[in-house]
Amino acid sequence: MASIPITARARHGDGGLNRALAIQALIGGSALILVAAPLVPILYQSFVSRPLYEDGGILTLDNYVRLFGDSVFYSVISNSILLALATTLIACILGVAFAIFLERTNLPFRKTLRSIVLWPMYVSQLVIAFSWFVMYGPSGYVTLLTQQLFGDAPWNLYTIWGMAAVGGTGMAPLVYLFCASSAQRVDATLEDAGRTMGAGSLRVLWSISIPLMRPAIIYSALLTFIGSLEMLSVPLVFGRPVGIEFFTTYLYSHGLGGIEPDYGILGAAAAILLVIITVLLICQGMLLTKAGRFVTLKGKAQRQKLADLGAARWPVFLLFLLYNVVILAIPLAGIALRSVTTFLTPLMAPFDLLTWENFNLIFSYDAYVRSITNSLIISTVGGAIATVFIALITLVVHRSNFRFRRQLEFIALYPRAIPGIVAGIGLFWAMLIIPGIGWMHGTIWIMVLAFTMRSIPTAFGAISPALMQISEELDKSARSCGADWWTACRTIILPLLKPAIFSAYVLLFLSFLKEYSSAVFLFSPGNEIIGTTMLSFWANGDTGPVAALSVIQIALTVIFVFAARQLLRSHQNV
Amino acid sequence: MSELVLENLSKHFGDVRAIDGINLTVADGEFLTLLGPSGCGKSTTLFAIAGLDTPTGGIIRAGNNVFFDSTKGILVPPEKRNCGLVFQSYALWPHMTVEQNLAFPLKIRKVGGADRARRIAEALDLVEMAPYAKRYPHELSGGQQQRVALARTLVFEPTLLLLDEPLSNLDAKLRIRARNWLKELQQRLKITTIYVTHDQIEALAMSDRIAVMNKGEMVQLATPQEIYTRPAGAFVADFIGSSNFMKGKMARRDADGTAEVALEGGTMISAIWAPDVKPGSDVLVAVRPEHVRLAVARPANDDFNLLPGRITGRSYLGARYQYALDAGGTSIAAETEDAFDRPEVFATFDRAHAVVVLP
Repeated sequence: MASIPITARARHGDGGLNRALAIQALIGGSALILVAAPLVPILYQSFVSRPLYEDGGILTLDNYVRLFGDSVFYSVISNSILLALATTLIACILGVAFAIFLERTNLPFRKTLRSIVLWPMYVSQLVIAFSWFVMYGPSGYVTLLTQQLFGDAPWNLYTIWGMAAVGGTGMAPLVYLFCASSAQRVDATLEDAGRTMGAGSLRVLWSISIPLMRPAIIYSALLTFIGSLEMLSVPLVFGRPVGIEFFTTYLYSHGLGGIEPDYGILGAAAAILLVIITVLLICQGMLLTKAGRFVTLKGKAQRQKLADLGAARWPVFLLFLLYNVVILAIPLAGIALRSVTTFLTPLMAPFDLLTWENFNLIFSYDAYVRSITNSLIISTVGGAIATVFIALITLVVHRSNFRFRRQLEFIALYPRAIPGIVAGIGLFWAMLIIPGIGWMHGTIWIMVLAFTMRSIPTAFGAISPALMQISEELDKSARSCGADWWTACRTIILPLLKPAIFSAYVLLFLSFLKEYSSAVFLFSPGNEIIGTTMLSFWANGDTGPVAALSVIQIALTVIFVFAARQLLRSHQNV
Repeated sequence: MSELVLENLSKHFGDVRAIDGINLTVADGEFLTLLGPSGCGKSTTLFAIAGLDTPTGGIIRAGNNVFFDSTKGILVPPEKRNCGLVFQSYALWPHMTVEQNLAFPLKIRKVGGADRARRIAEALDLVEMAPYAKRYPHELSGGQQQRVALARTLVFEPTLLLLDEPLSNLDAKLRIRARNWLKELQQRLKITTIYVTHDQIEALAMSDRIAVMNKGEMVQLATPQEIYTRPAGAFVADFIGSSNFMKGKMARRDADGTAEVALEGGTMISAIWAPDVKPGSDVLVAVRPEHVRLAVARPANDDFNLLPGRITGRSYLGARYQYALDAGGTSIAAETEDAFDRPEVFATFDRAHAVVVLP
């Protein structure tokens, strides 16, 4: 041993420290620019008298004055808040009920039902809206069938409550996810204590279990509220035809409707939406510090006492089945059927109307095919780039001495406050005014940027808990063995983080494939994606190609999820 | 190889002083233990030496290399200090085999090919783990992991070996074996070693010198024998082994440190060593339970300190009994093999075992 020369000190210059700092600053700076890029133009435009790309604009409050002078805007605000409240109510009642029945009772086939109730999360909101329209819309198949049989259909999706039903059932899985972990953690002894005092099962559920879940309920309620404020598809499909305007449709029609969009109004309205959601997020953040930092589905295994549903076991199970058939199976079956028929009506058997015309149309025009390939490239390549970038952000936030790491965490979580459509407007404007990035216009890379920015909080939240479970001593020991910060990250932490990074990639792939709202302002011939092409067909009233594209998107999702599961399973032992 | 010097090393967060002005010189090849209860600052000091914790003031120097100097703004990052640190959890990288774990520091130092393989083999031989080179850490027992962790730090010949309670995760028997083995290895390699532990037995058995720490300060720095027989204060006397403390006033102190103390009941006690304080000062006489003898009859020999007492309690420790005595208002614990059936006894202890400490 004594003959071994010591080479470490001689080889390492001062470069190592600078390298760490350079990488950290690069990542932190990129994140800041990415998140600020859409925000700054919007805030600036909201205070400037002319379109932001024109010279000679002066700073003014006039845009806000005009916005609040417009009586339509008041109905926009009240409609948005009413819809958000109604959606939240429906999503929360459903989500909490799922959590209680699936986690705390002896409902049959709970395990299967648990995965079934999450399925709506895999489907794009746009596809859900279209498929509900096809089946439950005013001239939808089920609506007409009901009218035929009973003389009248007792629902109308072109109302706030109708839209809330579409949105709320779509967001219920999210509420369920948050409340499920909380329901699992409800200490059975607390419930037993209630039972020994003479309370029955249901009484215990109502007075003890649900109040114990309150932090999770409030937290997910805020999340749904924000989600429905920034929801574009449902208001677009069901509100616009009857002139019910919301924040997102207001921005959509003012930005894309007229020949000469009113930039000032657009900026001011977007800025107000940003402020509202930011305030809500701050409230949520304050709740979060109380409710525990990360919510996971893997609560620790605890003694679970399940409430006995008794004779209601099977009826409740059937109710669950019926619910999923109504909100998911029928609409998806409808859109699938619509994609292979010329039109869909209860008056004629669909088998007489079978056609490949819708798919032929999609595959015979370059622009339509391109929207599919673009979506795939953005999801696979863009998703990978975004995953790596966000994984590096989590490393800098949790595993470095970077001076601004706390600020970087805030930046990483802030995009939750930026609705897709606002991000789209902001980035579109950024391309107009920031020199040197104009080339991105019309390329898929602007989409990758927009989607990456929007997805930072999701992937950050997926990777962080796993990173924190890796003992800091592992990288510290690498440091004392002579590795600098980056080498320790690259050779020790990142390899150990692989499973979490892969899960984050799956999440990002799916959300990139579904994303449409930030793309509506960013697409032009050349960088269409499935979502924007569906919207274009929709605007022309071509339901058939919309259904075909929906089927394609769902098929891609299913294939990817299946492949990812297989891959995970085969690598589990490594 | 080189000596390690800490000068006035401090870490303050606001009013909290994690470490408060540590001055310490560890000689080349010395085995020095930082000993203290949890929260005393021993691990903070160790991590400051390794560069994984940044102090707020002072100097850390190894030979001629300054690692840290608050006044000159020098802070060498951990990877450039060439310190071998063994963590309490061993911190073996779970995705690498034993061999790959050892190869890591060598790869960073651009030691390639045959040379690298030879050094890994040598280091594994040294810790008797050569047959396990292809195993993954989770396939090893705690003791084996500990040896691999040590091999991983020795393989790159660090300037200093820093050990953070490396034996605390081993079971009692294995710990004694590992302790002897580690000490023997350190003496063979003659590598300057800083060892952190809260286990006084480990510290006494392994160290050349022990630095006892309490509340961020170093309260005594001495050889194990000196720490045990001449504790510098009540804290050290009680933390290293356990001690009886008898309140009294200093009656006389000679130049050689021997002293006489008048206990509160009036009994005079002679002690082999006392700090230099004025006669009349309040002091404590410390004597260890295993040094207190009990007798039914009053001993004729009065070379011993003697206290008449009453047995108030007895517990059976297996090899011995532990008695609780009341000696004129002072409680004394004594450990002996003899069983006594009468409560009235005489407690005696040699003056060589009595040390005066400040309260």
